[in-house]
Amino acid sequence: MLLSLSWLREFVPYEGTAAELGQALTMIGLEMDGLFRPYERLRPIVVGHVLECARHPEADNLSVCRVDVGDDVLDIVCGAPNVGTGQKVAVVKVGVALPTGGIVKKAKLRGVPSNGMLCSEYELGLSDEHDGILLLEGTLPVGASLPDALALDDEVLDIAVTPNRGDCLSVLGLAREVAAMTGLPLTMPALRMVESGPDCSKDIRLEIADPNLCSLYHGRIIEGASTRKSPARLRYRLNAVGLRAVSNLVDVTNYILMELGQPLHAFDLDEVRGGSIIVRGAEQGETLVTLDGQRRALLPSDITIRDAERVIGLGGVMGGLNSEITEKSSRVFLECAVFNPLAIRKTARRLSLHSEAAYRFERGVDQTGAGYALERAAAMMAEFSGGYVRTGLPKVEPLPWTSPTVRLRRRRAESLLGITLEKGFYEETLSRLYCKVREVALPADAEQTGSDQEWDVVPPGYRRDLTREADLIEEVARLYGVDRVPPSLPKVSRLLERVGEPESRHVFLGRIKRWAQGAGLHEVINYSFVSHRELDHLAGEDGARTNERISIMNPLNDDMNVLRTDLAPGLLRSLSNNLTQGANSVGLFEVATVFASELASETTVREVPRLGILLYGARFEQAWPQSAGDMDYLDLKGLLEHLFSSFTLPEADFILADNVGPSVKKCFPAWLSPCVRVDVRGDCVGWAGRVRPTAAESYHAKKAVWMAELDLDRVLSLRRDGAGGFVRLPVFPPVRRDMTCIAGPTITAGMIVEEIRKLRSPLLVSSHLIDYFEPDGREERNLTFRLIFRHAERTLRDEEVDKQRDAIAASLQKSLPVQI
Amino acid sequence: MGIIAGLERLEPELQSGLEQASSLSQVDDLYTAFLGRKGALAQLMGHLPELPAEERPAFGKAANAVKERLAELLEARRQFFLSESELAEFARFDPTLPGRSPRQGSLHPVTLVMDEICRVFTSLGFDTVSGPEVETDFYNFEALNLPKDHPARDMQDTLYVSDGVVMRTHTSPMQVRTMLERKKPPLAIIAPGKVYRRDSDLTHTPMFHQIEGLLVDQGISLSHLRGTLTMFLRELFGKSVNVRFRPSFFPFTEPSIEVDISCILCGGEGYRSKGEPCRVCKTTGWLEILGSGMVDPAVFKAVGYDEACAGFAFGLGVERVAMLKYGIDDLRMFFENDLRFLGQFT
Repeated sequence: MLLSLSWLREFVPYEGTAAELGQALTMIGLEMDGLFRPYERLRPIVVGHVLECARHPEADNLSVCRVDVGDDVLDIVCGAPNVGTGQKVAVVKVGVALPTGGIVKKAKLRGVPSNGMLCSEYELGLSDEHDGILLLEGTLPVGASLPDALALDDEVLDIAVTPNRGDCLSVLGLAREVAAMTGLPLTMPALRMVESGPDCSKDIRLEIADPNLCSLYHGRIIEGASTRKSPARLRYRLNAVGLRAVSNLVDVTNYILMELGQPLHAFDLDEVRGGSIIVRGAEQGETLVTLDGQRRALLPSDITIRDAERVIGLGGVMGGLNSEITEKSSRVFLECAVFNPLAIRKTARRLSLHSEAAYRFERGVDQTGAGYALERAAAMMAEFSGGYVRTGLPKVEPLPWTSPTVRLRRRRAESLLGITLEKGFYEETLSRLYCKVREVALPADAEQTGSDQEWDVVPPGYRRDLTREADLIEEVARLYGVDRVPPSLPKVSRLLERVGEPESRHVFLGRIKRWAQGAGLHEVINYSFVSHRELDHLAGEDGARTNERISIMNPLNDDMNVLRTDLAPGLLRSLSNNLTQGANSVGLFEVATVFASELASETTVREVPRLGILLYGARFEQAWPQSAGDMDYLDLKGLLEHLFSSFTLPEADFILADNVGPSVKKCFPAWLSPCVRVDVRGDCVGWAGRVRPTAAESYHAKKAVWMAELDLDRVLSLRRDGAGGFVRLPVFPPVRRDMTCIAGPTITAGMIVEEIRKLRSPLLVSSHLIDYFEPDGREERNLTFRLIFRHAERTLRDEEVDKQRDAIAASLQKSLPVQI
Repeated sequence: MGIIAGLERLEPELQSGLEQASSLSQVDDLYTAFLGRKGALAQLMGHLPELPAEERPAFGKAANAVKERLAELLEARRQFFLSESELAEFARFDPTLPGRSPRQGSLHPVTLVMDEICRVFTSLGFDTVSGPEVETDFYNFEALNLPKDHPARDMQDTLYVSDGVVMRTHTSPMQVRTMLERKKPPLAIIAPGKVYRRDSDLTHTPMFHQIEGLLVDQGISLSHLRGTLTMFLRELFGKSVNVRFRPSFFPFTEPSIEVDISCILCGGEGYRSKGEPCRVCKTTGWLEILGSGMVDPAVFKAVGYDEACAGFAFGLGVERVAMLKYGIDDLRMFFENDLRFLGQFT
């Protein structure tokens, strides 16, 4: 809401500066977003008096003027057709900037020197008017600065009005607040309306079909009006608060809207057919061309204004083109109504018609002030248009406004605010806000409830937000000053029954994040939105489980039209961003939610927290002294194993997903190949693998991209309770034997270890791979395992260990196609 | 040659041998030659039975003295070579070579700030809770006194998943969820998480992070809200920060309070040292930092709590706090995930 300080002062004699006012309003909940001076650039421009005006000797369309500017007399060449001797004009001196751009310079026009410029309204930024220079009233003092001479609204505050305070969307509304805050008197402009002509209240038949749609409808008829420019002062004022002047009749409706907050609409009465105005919902299939020239399809929920034959306006939102005020209009029907906020809001939103009128109706217009607004508007219209206001007021008010009576208990107020206020403060404050306050006798149980003072409060009609005790307490606090409330610390009583509850999901996810940071990964945060296109691209034709995706109904753009089903798209995009910045070693992680459809859920969505890891490029960011080389599957798997052991989870199995059946394979990320399933006790907790080069390419990745995602809800559920048991340290030394297996490509290290384990050799305590070698040009691989034997009660002899080893080797060769 | 004479010759022989020795291994060889199992001294001792019985104790004593002496000589020479080789080794030692570090990871500034805020409130006895990011209209709006078609819904441009299901526009639904789950006061919770709005420009991203706080108990007042938030903000931004309360509007609190802190760049002056206008607070001296208020009775009603109970709630934007704390001036940096940015938050 743009508030002109001088306009405000017409209602309340506030003497502070605009900045002080803004500060004070901010502290009562009407935050000043900005303070600007719309006519500041007019300040160096002065009132001049044209002493002489002669035709330019060399050019018919130029005049040479001698202009008195107070401290000097200037020769100015002017091209405007309307310049003449004796006029008062706006003079821009040499060296002064024009409000619309450019600096006036000393010039010679066709040989005649010119020391300044006479300006049009357009050049001054006052309006669109550029036919000739601005002619000022003859009484203005020569040499005076233009904003002062014209009494322009030169200070405008931008006040952020919260949705509950529709009553503050006007000069009057803010003036009431200033009056309440300062104790200054509020003065309403005197009404100077004269009615004439025969009574017209029966000429227009008003009908409201549903009182819930429109609770009040008043009209005034202005006859003999002529459409012309509004007086300069009114136009400049509207311009200062961001409204474009149109014509006298329309400008008055805008002026009253800004001043009193009551939206009005002017119809050309000659276009209102059949002498009737009906307010009711539109009929299915009806359309209306609104003032902006657009044909709108209407719904029964839209409030229409219609004459005997047709729709002539969209009530509270925008008028119809068919009944618009034009240059030819001379008879005006001026509508002043109060429409249902919800209905207006629905229509305005559906049609994206966010007019100033709709904005105010949505937030509630003061039904008790409608009459005054209409009278003031009608009087102004008559005055500015040369017409007269017809006697009589066609009106209906099917649903008169009644304010609620709200009980306010002092004890409750002070307990909620944590302060003690003087006894008289409540009554005085609420009265200043124009509430009717009546102290009530204390109820019989007053002593018991501790109540010591109570009031019945009836708020004024424009305060639709005051309906409950809490609302009144807020008013008291607001005017007392919430910043004066002293700080104190509450005692937080904590139920002991909550102690010992399991770690919350948030805390667990936090521990996962700190593990990942410690493991050398950088945390990224990506938007939860991705695009269907990107998911399709990653998943390929078979993998796209589109029916499980959660689409956004009203996405910002097509890049964000679906919720992520995996962390992969975001991680890959983060990789891409960094590769374009020249990164050569990237280790990222993200802990975030992925989304899938689940109709049984309350929100129809299943949300699963995941950990995503991405590895790309050099193993170490630093070249020396680390070993060179790119990260590969073993780096990724090592991280996952480290995670499992850090969180004391059961050991995970890594199973090549290509080996599982096609039905299972479908649930796996299609963009990974190889894709490795991470299983714990036969349950899949996630997957790891290499992004297919075709997919990786679109993210600028030229090397292998390794990724893993784990379902953190599953991981959380796997944690073991308590610490693992302590194992006593062995007393007797171990004996080691190394064994190299030569195996074909289908035999995995895991298979060999599993076979050895299955032998349950009594003295064997562990076996693990210590060397791995792929000889050039041969299919077989050499896998060397270290077998560790130990006896709990004595030192082993070499011979018995050798026997065990040989037995293992023999069994292996029998059960697997390997050579030892 | 008598064995006594042999004993006496050992020392000078070893001495000359040690003088000629040029390395540690030669010293070790001399040790073997003189004091080893089959060394010179041992050989002499082998002749002991040849001596008359009465001379044997004296000889034994002398032999022990010689053994000790030889050991001393050998050890001295050994130490000489050891320190010499140590010196040679360290002469080329370069302590300025880069270390062999494990990979250095980092936490996102949003995570760091959330952790810090949660830590303050956890220490006060608040529980951390989390909930869904896709919410029903009931939790996100209706139970929070934001009925359908209410203009207050304009304050939060909403992304819809379907009719009645939205991307949560704030973390406030966690107030409703927790109150319903816990059934009755007292409760003190803090709820960090992602929130979504249909908004994208220089100062808005469609996804950002909020932290919601709620305290409900007997006799909780606006004064408590002020005390708690003042303490928290000073914990977060430093003891010298001033806190300002001003009225505002949120449908789920009444009274609603906007909380400002004195500008952390200009110290609340509005201008920098050279009279240059402060770009952070735009000369107002104050920074809007969080929204708060006393829980609206309508919210208590929606969750079936006694309307006589009292509580306060607050919410703050994590990115905004992070920007102020770290001096980050571009919101978009948070979601570009540039390693040069992330790497600064180790």
